[in-house]
Amino acid sequence: MGLDYQFVLWNRNKKRYDIIIVFGMLFYLFLFTGLTLIFKSQTTMETLLIRAFGTLALLMLHIILAIGPLCRLNTAFLPLLYNRRHLGVSMFLAALVHGGFSLFQFHALGNTNPIYSLFTSNMDYGSLTNFPFQVMGFFALLILFAMAATSHDFYLKNLSPKIWKGLHLMVYIAYVFILFHVFLGAFQQETSVLTVSFMGLGFLSLVTLHIITGIREAGKEKQEYEINVDQWLKVCHVSDIKTNRAKICTIDNGPVAIYKYDGKISAIHNTCKHQGGPLGEGKVIDGCITCPWHGYQYLPHNGQSPPPFTDKVQTYQLKLEKGIIYLNPRALQEGTYVEPIQIEK
Amino acid sequence: MREDKEFYVGYFDEMGPNTKRNIKGFIVLVVLIVVFCAMVFGLSQRPFANSTFEFGSDTEITGIYHEMPYPMLRVEVAENEYKNIVLLGFGKSSINPFLKKIRRKGTRLTGKILTIKGNLIYYNGKTLIQLTDEENVSIKNQLFVSELPIKDEMGRVSFMGEIVDPKCYFGVMKPGYGKIHRSCAVRCISGGIPPVLATKDNEGNDRYVLLTDSSGNPINEAILNYIGKPAKVTGHLERMEDWDFLRLNTGDIEVLDQESGIYVQ
Ligand code: HEM
Ligand code: FES
Repeated sequence: MGLDYQFVLWNRNKKRYDIIIVFGMLFYLFLFTGLTLIFKSQTTMETLLIRAFGTLALLMLHIILAIGPLCRLNTAFLPLLYNRRHLGVSMFLAALVHGGFSLFQFHALGNTNPIYSLFTSNMDYGSLTNFPFQVMGFFALLILFAMAATSHDFYLKNLSPKIWKGLHLMVYIAYVFILFHVFLGAFQQETSVLTVSFMGLGFLSLVTLHIITGIREAGKEKQEYEINVDQWLKVCHVSDIKTNRAKICTIDNGPVAIYKYDGKISAIHNTCKHQGGPLGEGKVIDGCITCPWHGYQYLPHNGQSPPPFTDKVQTYQLKLEKGIIYLNPRALQEGTYVEPIQIEK
Repeated sequence: MREDKEFYVGYFDEMGPNTKRNIKGFIVLVVLIVVFCAMVFGLSQRPFANSTFEFGSDTEITGIYHEMPYPMLRVEVAENEYKNIVLLGFGKSSINPFLKKIRRKGTRLTGKILTIKGNLIYYNGKTLIQLTDEENVSIKNQLFVSELPIKDEMGRVSFMGEIVDPKCYFGVMKPGYGKIHRSCAVRCISGGIPPVLATKDNEGNDRYVLLTDSSGNPINEAILNYIGKPAKVTGHLERMEDWDFLRLNTGDIEVLDQESGIYVQ
C-alpha cells in the first residue's frame, strides 16, 4: 500500500489549525487585557487573568459546540471538525487557568484545604441568588478535564467508541454547568444588560443550530423502501449514485452506504469505527472508502481497513436488475468479502 | 465534478476552492466575534475601587500596640493626630501567629511601642498592614506607655450595609465585596481577620464599622453566614479615633433580599 494510507499524526493542516487556535487565543487575551488596562486601569492582575481566561474559555466552548451542527448542515465546514479535539484541549487549558487562579485567589492561604473551602465557604445551596456558583464551575472543569485527558485516539480505542462518545457528550452537561456558573455568579454582581444578552444570544444560536440539524437528520432517516418477494429492498437506480460516491439508506440495522466506483457497486455499514462518522458521505480515494470526518479508510468489497489497520465494518449483499439496485438487509459479519456487482454497460 | 474536488481529507494538503472560501469566511467571522466579545466583556466590567495593596514593597511603621479587641497600631500621623492601623497576617489569617514569638518573651504587648515592617493596604482614609514574617516585628521601647485610645459610647444604632473582610476590601482584591468575593471573605474572617461593615451615612459618604460580639470580643465564626450579602445590622456603636466599632448579637443581623454589592459600589 502507498504512503497515502498512513495516518500521519502531524500534518500541515493540523499545524495550520493549531497555529490559528494559538493566535486566536492570544489575540483575545491581548484585546481583553488591553481594553481593561486602558479603560479599567484600577483592576488587579489576578482579576484581569481570571476574567480574561474565563471569558476566553466560554467563547471557545461556543465555537466548539457550533462546529458539529455546522458540519452536518454543510460539508464545506468539515475541515473545522478534523482537528476539533485540539480546540477542545486548548479550551480546557484556558478554563484551567481561570479555575486554578480562582481557586488559589479565593480559597488558598486560609485555614482549610482550598477544595474543601470551595464547597463549604458558601453554604447557601438552597438559595438561587446566593448559590455557591464556584461549585458549578468546578464540576464543569472536572468534565472538561476528563474529556481533555481522554481526547487521544488511544483512549477512544481502549474505552470503546461508545463509552468515549458518551463521555464526550458530557460537554453539554459542562456547558449547562457553566451557564449556571456565570448567571448565578458573575452576572449577579457584575450585572450588565450587554453581557447578559450577549451570552443569551450565544445560547440561543447554539440551540437553534442543534434543532435545525436535528430536524434535517430526522428527515433523512425517515425513508421507506419497497420490499420485493425475496425480502430484498429496492434502493434506487444505479445512475442516481455519482461515481466514487454513495447513497445512504437506512434499514432496521441502521444506515448502509452503497458505493459506486470503478464500474462496480458495493455496500458496507455506514458507521465509521473511529467516531461514528457517516461513511456514505465520504468518497472512494485510491480504491478505499474514506470517512469524511477524519479520513479512516475501508475497502468497499470487504469493509476492512487496508493493512496495517485492522478496523472492520459489516458488509451487505447487493443485486442489480434492469439498472435498479436491491439491498439484502441482512448484515454480514464485519469484514466479510462480498463480490462487487459489475454495472452492465 | 465540482463537488468531488471539495471532499476534504485532513492528511492531504489540498482543499477544494469552495471549502477554502467557506473556512476563510468562518475564520473572519470568528475574528469579528473575538473582537466583539473582548469589547463586551472588557468594557462592561464595573469600575474598580482605587484602593491600594503595596504587595512586594515594605513599609515600616511605629506606634502603640493595642487590641480593642483587634490588633492595631496607633500611629501619630501629625501632631496630636492619630491613625489606628489594623494589623493583619499573611494570606487569609490574623496577625496573631506572627506575634507568638515576641509574646513568648513574656512581655505584655498592649501599650508597648512596636515597629512593624509589612505591606500597606489603604483606601478611603483607612490603613491596614500585612505582616509576612514574624521577624518583622520588634519592640521599640520596653517602657509601658498609657496613651491608649478611648472608646466613646454612641448608643444603639442600625445600619444597612455589607459585611466585608477589610483586607480584600481595602485593597488586596477587586472586587473585594459582594457575591463574587463572598467565599474569600468567609475564608479571611474565619482565619481571624476582623469583620467590617461597609455602609454609607445619610449624606452618602462611605463609612466603615468594625464588628465585635456583644461583649466587645472578636467575632469570626459566628458571623460567617452573613458575609458578603446586603444586610441590616443593629448593635451598640462606639467610636475610637478614626474607627467605629459595633457590639452586636448575630441574631440582630437581618439579611436583606437585595442586589449583591449595592451598599458598597
Ligand atoms: C474550579 C473551577 C472554577 C472556579 C473556582 C471558578 C471561579 C470563578 C469566579 C470566582 C468567578 C468570578 C470572577 C470575577 O468576576 O471576578 C468566575 C467567573 C466566570 N467563570 Fe469561572 N470558575 C471555575 C470554572 C470555570 C469554567 C470551567 C469556566 C468555563 C469554561 C468558567 C467560566 C467563567 C466565566 C465566563 C465567568 C464570568 C466572567 C468572569 O468574571 O471571569 N469558570 N469563575
Ligand atoms: S469518524 Fe473519524 S474517521 Fe470516521
